[in-house]
Amino acid sequence: MAKFLCLLPLLFSAYAFADTTSSTLPAAPVGGDGFTNPLSTLKFNPGLDQREFERASLNALDVYDPLESWNRRIYHFNYRLDEWVLLPVVNGYRWVTPGFVRSGVTNFFSNLGDVSNLLNSMLQLKGKRALNTTGRLLFNTTIGVFGLWDPATRMGLAKQSEDFGQTLGFYGVPSGPYLVLPLLGPSNLRDASGFAVDTLAESQVNYLNVSQESGRHPEILLLRGINLRYITNFRYGQLNSPFEYEKVRYVYTEARKLQIRE
Amino acid sequence: MLSPLRITALLGALLLGLSGRVVAADIDAATYGYPLTNPFEATITSTPADLRPLLPTDLEIDQKDYSINLRPEREHELPDNFWAVKKLHYRLAQQDRPAPLIFIIAGTGASYSSSTPEYLKRLYYSAGYHVVQLSSPTSYDFMAAASRQATPGYTPGDAEDLYRVMQAVRAQHPKLPVTKYFLTGYSLGALDAAFVSKLDESQRSFNFSRVLLLNPPVNLLTSVRNLDRLVQTQVNGITNNRTFYELVLAKLTRYFQQKGHVDLNEALLFDFQQSPQRLSNEEMAMLIGTSFRFSAADIAFTSDLINRRGLITPPGYPIYQGTSLSRFFARALQCDFDCYMYDQLLPSWERTTKGTGLAELARQSSLTALESYLKESDKIGVMHNADDLILGPGDIGFLRRTFGNRLTLYPLGGHCGNLNYRVNADAMLEFFARG
Repeated sequence: MAKFLCLLPLLFSAYAFADTTSSTLPAAPVGGDGFTNPLSTLKFNPGLDQREFERASLNALDVYDPLESWNRRIYHFNYRLDEWVLLPVVNGYRWVTPGFVRSGVTNFFSNLGDVSNLLNSMLQLKGKRALNTTGRLLFNTTIGVFGLWDPATRMGLAKQSEDFGQTLGFYGVPSGPYLVLPLLGPSNLRDASGFAVDTLAESQVNYLNVSQESGRHPEILLLRGINLRYITNFRYGQLNSPFEYEKVRYVYTEARKLQIRE
Repeated sequence: MLSPLRITALLGALLLGLSGRVVAADIDAATYGYPLTNPFEATITSTPADLRPLLPTDLEIDQKDYSINLRPEREHELPDNFWAVKKLHYRLAQQDRPAPLIFIIAGTGASYSSSTPEYLKRLYYSAGYHVVQLSSPTSYDFMAAASRQATPGYTPGDAEDLYRVMQAVRAQHPKLPVTKYFLTGYSLGALDAAFVSKLDESQRSFNFSRVLLLNPPVNLLTSVRNLDRLVQTQVNGITNNRTFYELVLAKLTRYFQQKGHVDLNEALLFDFQQSPQRLSNEEMAMLIGTSFRFSAADIAFTSDLINRRGLITPPGYPIYQGTSLSRFFARALQCDFDCYMYDQLLPSWERTTKGTGLAELARQSSLTALESYLKESDKIGVMHNADDLILGPGDIGFLRRTFGNRLTLYPLGGHCGNLNYRVNADAMLEFFARG
């Protein structure tokens, strides 16, 4: 979930794609005052009447969302919960813990998550990725002391997320209706089921005994939740648009398609 | 006896004085060193990370978001699911000692918390100023919570709204030790800043000692039409089965597949434009145009809803938290800036000010309307780019004539793409350090 949220600014801010070595522009006539008139270098549609923006945007609005009314209410519920509870808690967490503790917590849960990344890479028969994640688990759990550090990334083994929702998508299972889950935010029927399976699998594997201990010490679960919010950059209202619901829905849907295909 | 050197200096000063014109500081392309020569890329990506200034992180900044209730009547006028924007939010970063306070006004449609005001905050906070970040009068939250007419675009009116907000912000922090006031804005926010500064000359609430305009539109109509035109570029590969977004996403997907994994970081953006999937100038232009069209849709929808004009949302239509807004979004998407001006701004302006015609409205709302004020006001400076896409022919000439050596013209940067370049950051800090 955190990952798709990173895509938000990518798709909706003007700051999206970049370059250091620039492409060539046809020479524009420089005015007497030094103006280079960049628009004069572009090829425009002759009638200036194409409706591609409208067509593309209307098309993007077309996401299967039969439970929209419920979803919107949960969206507002999450928005308020975020403002009144989650963000203040995250701020408190930031206040009381030093930075190295927080990154240790993030790395620890990220290492646990690699178990499900590994399972799902194997289920999708992605051998190279499974090996990569196995290496990560080995190095981070041993040299990284139960995952508190992440030496694997520095060794060139980048984290590669795979969840059961992606596995289902990989085998052609359609996304089903769009869902906004309480607390967790945007999802769909396929990904929500996938999340349930991943959670179940994790408790079966019981890696580093965390699942079992979480049962006895719910504060572990709480810390995990706080960490999740801490590492998720998204803020409700950040798009500053009356149509944030639609925009988040579109970006979530497309980001998941991208993750499945890649 | 005068030495020859001093005579030359004296002669030079005399000549400069006699000619009555001081020339703008034109930054030479060779020494400037900004790496992005393509204005569309510069606009989209801004400066590569290693060429940005080193700035304090959130943890090193004492800051908080506040809200003010400026238009209590909106509590009832606006439907329930606009609860989040019934009060105006802003961000204040404060120093622990007496310091100047700088107001930052955001650009078209942008919120106080968007990336450019955040960047400017870090920059000026590092220089030891208190910083207040304000949303643009064209943004969704400002329109709903602070704007009297909720029909932005008439700049003198927008400046009055902003001025009231600034006064309310100050009233909320009576104990903040402020030594003097500075003002800045980028893009449309820079135009707003010029009008706010003018208003302050008569109202005298702040007596701004320095005002810096970053990439302002000069003729509002030119800028608005340039932006509307960006979605009219010819993009190859759009078919009946593939929209522009699908085209861009397909390129991204292919790029990730070739890379082998999704790795989202700032370097990705640079890497992408080096790959075979890189976007063409026409595609980048359309992407920039798309982002502005979404702003136009937000403005058209919000203005129509608050004023019950019935162009997009039928007046009295019941909207609850579960109500779908998608069909109003679909309708608002059809409306570009030109459509918004003709359908909503112009009629509203003609009714409230007794003015007539779009030409007159645009004249009164543009930087050119303040020509004599800007000429006389030494405290106001402007920084602009020779390749900014919101400008038209003659606009830079106006800036040269009006601001003289208070204009700094950079050869590159597109629209605001070089604001976070180290050279620009130094110049911006130096401008206020002199005040």
